[in-house]
Formats: sequence, C-alpha cells, structure tokens
Amino acid sequence: MGLEVDIIFKIAGVGIVVAFLHTVLDQVGKKEYAQWVTLFGFIYILFQVASIVDDLFQKIKSVFLFQ
Amino acid sequence: MVKVIGAIFIIVATTVVGFEAARHFSERPRQLRALRSALQSLEAEIMYGHTPLHEAARRLSAQLSRPLSGFFDTFAKKLMDTETTVKEAWETSLREVWKSTALKQGEFEIMKQFGETLGRHDRFSQQKHIMLALSHLEREEADAVQAQATYEKMVKSLGFLSGLLLIILLF
Repeated sequence: MGLEVDIIFKIAGVGIVVAFLHTVLDQVGKKEYAQWVTLFGFIYILFQVASIVDDLFQKIKSVFLFQ
Repeated sequence: MVKVIGAIFIIVATTVVGFEAARHFSERPRQLRALRSALQSLEAEIMYGHTPLHEAARRLSAQLSRPLSGFFDTFAKKLMDTETTVKEAWETSLREVWKSTALKQGEFEIMKQFGETLGRHDRFSQQKHIMLALSHLEREEADAVQAQATYEKMVKSLGFLSGLLLIILLF
C-alpha cells in the first residue's frame, strides 16, 4: 500500500506545481509556453498511470486467466 | 536522509538561478539610467567645462558606480597611454566592459554609433549627437522597465517552481 500512496502524492505534487507554472506563465503572456508545460506534465503523469494500470491488468490476468 | 539533502541542494540551486536572472532584469534599467546620467555629465563637461575628452572620462569614472566607471576608466587610459583614435578606444573599451554589464546588444549599438561621432564635430553638433544617443537610451530604458515589470517576478517563481518539479519527478 505504501507505494500506491507515494505515487498518488507524486501525481498530486506534479499537478500542483504544473498548475502554478501555468498560472505564472499565463500572467506574463507566455501562453504557448504555459500550454507546453501543462502538456508535458500531463504526458508524464499519463505514462505513470499507464504503467500502474498495466500492473493492474497483469495482476488480473494472473488471477483469472491462470497463466 | 541523503535524498532530502539532495532535494535541498536542487531547490537552492534552481532558486538561486532564478534570482540571479531576476537580478539581471532589475539591473538593466538601473545601469541604463546610470549610462544616461553619464552622457549628460559628459555633455556638461564638453559644453560648459571645455574639458578634454580623457579628462572628462576620468572625472566620469570617478563619479559613476561599478561597471560603468570601469568603462570610462579604460577609455581614459586608452586615450592617454596608447596611440589610437577616439572611435577605436571607445569601441574596444565598450567591448571589454560590456560582458560585465546587464545591458544588451541594442544599447551596445547606440553607444558604438555615439562613439563614432565623439570628438569629430564642434561643440554644438556634439551636443546634438549626445541628445540623440540620450533619446535612444531613453527608449531602451522604457523597454527595460517594461521587461522588468513583466519578467522579474516570473523568473523568480519559475526558478523555485522548476526546482520543486524536478524534486517531485526525481523523488
């Protein structure tokens, strides 16, 4: 369980920092950089979540499909 | 424990980088103002004091503060010690000092073009050239003030936040 909580905090932290970066860049009129930052943060988190979901599917497969 | 120390190192480093970049932004208008007052004193020396150029440059270097005083100091020394034209001495001393200032290429071109006119005309056309350079510098200063207002805070928070992001990604 420890690992899961850790990764949730990590995702939340990335979300907060990226949101701050977005607002700061937005305020000075660098909209395009703000969008890139948000996009990269999103992609990073997407990879993290994808690997976790992959773990989940492997587990389900090993439980129900008797590999 | 080691992780925490590394995290502190990262955040201190990126914050310092951010503040250093912000200092660059706040330094530029200050130095431009100093440069303008230097040109005004130079005008006064030429118009009312009838001071020779190396003497005027020496007085200016005594009046001004760090980076610009170095410029007028090397300029005066070059005029005194070496066999050179005013234009060359002005340009080489500009090049030497420019690295240690927060000023940009636009100001460099203005100062270089001003140096080309220096000491080649009578007092009144010299005054006109000084006025021209001053008005160019004024425009650059307005530019620099605007850039400071927009980017100074951004760079500061950007440094800190990017450090935070790096820590979270690496943790």
